[in-house]
Amino acid sequence: MEKLRAAIIAATALVVMAAAVAAHAQDVEKGRKKAEACIACHGPNGNSTQPQFPILAGQTARYLYLQLKDFKEGCRAEPQMDPFLKDLSRDDMFDLSAFFAAQKLRTAANFKPDPVKVERGKKKADEVLCTMCHLGGFMGQNEIPRVAGQHYAYVVKQLKDFKTAKRTNDAGNMASVSKTLSDQDIDDLANFLAGLY
Amino acid sequence: MQNNTFAFVRGTVLTAGIAFALGAGAQEVQQKPATSGGGVPKNVNVSQEALTKAGGQGVNWLHTNGSYDQQRFYPGTQISNQNVKNLRVAYVFQTEVVESMETAPIVIDGVMFLTTSYNHVYAVDAATGKEFWHYKHKMGPVTTFCCGPNNRGVAISGGKVFMGTLDAKLVALDAKTGKLLWETQIADPEKGYSETMSPTVIDNKVLIGTNGGEYGVRGFVKAFNADDGKLAWTFYTIPEKGHEGKWDPKDATGRDMKRDIAAEKAAFAKDGSFYQTLGGGVWMNPSVDLKSRTVWFVVGNPSPDLYGAERPGDNLYTNSIVAIDLDKGTYKCHFQYIAHDVWDLDAVSPPILVDVKDKAGKMIPGVIHGGKTGHVYVHDRKDCSLIRFSEAMVPQENMWVLPTTEGARMLPGANGGVEWSPMAVNSKLRLAYALNLHQPMTYHVEPAKYPGGSKLWLGGAFKAIPSEKQWGRVAAVNIDTGKMAWKYDTEQPLIGGGLATAGGLFFFGEGNGLFKALDAASGKLLWSFQCGAGANAMPVSYMVGKKQYVAMGCGGNTQLDFKRGNSVFVFALPD
Repeated sequence: MEKLRAAIIAATALVVMAAAVAAHAQDVEKGRKKAEACIACHGPNGNSTQPQFPILAGQTARYLYLQLKDFKEGCRAEPQMDPFLKDLSRDDMFDLSAFFAAQKLRTAANFKPDPVKVERGKKKADEVLCTMCHLGGFMGQNEIPRVAGQHYAYVVKQLKDFKTAKRTNDAGNMASVSKTLSDQDIDDLANFLAGLY
Repeated sequence: MQNNTFAFVRGTVLTAGIAFALGAGAQEVQQKPATSGGGVPKNVNVSQEALTKAGGQGVNWLHTNGSYDQQRFYPGTQISNQNVKNLRVAYVFQTEVVESMETAPIVIDGVMFLTTSYNHVYAVDAATGKEFWHYKHKMGPVTTFCCGPNNRGVAISGGKVFMGTLDAKLVALDAKTGKLLWETQIADPEKGYSETMSPTVIDNKVLIGTNGGEYGVRGFVKAFNADDGKLAWTFYTIPEKGHEGKWDPKDATGRDMKRDIAAEKAAFAKDGSFYQTLGGGVWMNPSVDLKSRTVWFVVGNPSPDLYGAERPGDNLYTNSIVAIDLDKGTYKCHFQYIAHDVWDLDAVSPPILVDVKDKAGKMIPGVIHGGKTGHVYVHDRKDCSLIRFSEAMVPQENMWVLPTTEGARMLPGANGGVEWSPMAVNSKLRLAYALNLHQPMTYHVEPAKYPGGSKLWLGGAFKAIPSEKQWGRVAAVNIDTGKMAWKYDTEQPLIGGGLATAGGLFFFGEGNGLFKALDAASGKLLWSFQCGAGANAMPVSYMVGKKQYVAMGCGGNTQLDFKRGNSVFVFALPD
């Protein structure tokens, strides 16, 4: 666990740097204003309290931008997002991404990970080599999302959507990864990831 | 303000929030790259003659891999197999970036230049660790890289140091002050290009390859003018025409690769126009043969890594050793190890120039490469042809089973064999030292169209097998026979560089933090030191005054998730 904790601390530090780096090209303050429409679902500063809506706070800016772009271009389908996308410009998407990336994740306190599942989830994550892309501590990098501290329900839904090809904007990587995951594996992984913050 | 913000890089979860708050306020000052420190208190100047003769002297360490031959052989003997047991820490230099460290420090006249993840550069006193200057690259808004925010060091020439950056730029700094002199965009980071390798400077040209084989780039080696960063020439590792090759059904060792050549030919006839997205990164420094004015490098995997149906043909010059003309950047010869690779067992470890015995037993100029397949390949420098390949350094099983949706087990795993880790050579002992991984994996394929350059494009996945133990191995391979003279096994897979010395030693590090010296002839463990974080950078040796030093970066590794740190450890014998 010590190793894991050290990795999380190091990775958190990286996000700090990534956020600082991203900030200079995209406008966090403009993003803050534009994000007012997002709060109803994604929560204040992107800290969603409704587990079906992902936490955006502390997410990598590059991932957020590419997801918005994919929603807008129809590469990722989510009917609830549609009304918010049609008027978004490229700059809007950059600003929104910069804003949410610069916020601190405050994970939902109402989810208590099951320690047995966390242990199994950690082992499964090691086997699947998640951190080769998601980095140590699952803090993400560039277009690879941070999944540490994400809602259990959201993680479960995404892994199942990748597995069943309901979500296909991953260039095949997560489709391949999730093909060999059982329902229990997904439950375990989501418990493990939700507890990382 | 900027200094304050970056000071939090080494902070904790608790301080992270404060740094976020500072992030917005720091915008303005971060528009510029930043250099701090008073500078080097003397002139720094490295002549071409010094760079050319670097391999024959023991004072400076002037190239990432020691010389243009890249033998990573240090000719000094002060630290030897007789006294290495007394080796102890001279100083520890701590950087402010706690992340994967792969740098090979460059040392000239007692001044050391080293880099960290996220493109920081430090100049320090090589005998004491006193910091002279610290440069932080201003990163662009878009970066795209697969395997961690690494950097493997600077190159030096004249009074400048050169570094490739994660946002695919080449920067030139004043070696004395650390000030930015010029920067040039090498390629577009939105299309998946990034830089982690150190450049190589020769005759006032800065040579550099590119990452991006996981994103569908078109790989290259480019040469830039050292004075102003203007492009001199480009050699694309993927030719516009002819990349289908000769439809080779077998690998370099003669094993069948189970290709469906007829299906590939049919697909190619329908669409053979994918050269712009075929991959072929060049991850590590080229070697330079000054006599024949030839540049040697190896080319990485095709894109996508595991899904071959998108790219019928041999995918030249992926997974190959390639020779080009130093002055014009034009093709001379190549040899492909794996045509139409669908396992990511590509060519990464930098090629080494060394005389070898040919098949008739005559000594000839050779070039060798340590493969992810677990073989050391020995070539004739005259025409790239393969003279021999070594016995397998790590277990090979089930080669070449094709990847499946559910996963097919094959050894070695996708990291190798020998990853980017540069080998070292002791030509007197006739040995090449290779750092190997043993990571049993299953290979999974998933059809995937080119996603536009901004997303990882593997066409599948690799997964470890939890019931099978992973380990590492130093293999000492006789380059004239291909036989292993000895092997030294480690508890974790090995990644990082090796260093051979005339003192009869071989230095290397492990992910558990141990930095070790083995007897070069027998492989016997003579000394080790616990660095406290993964010893996964590239060790170097040099002298200041009358003292020999050995330096090793210990910052862990992203790819294998070895414990991160931020320090370069420097060792010497007691007075």
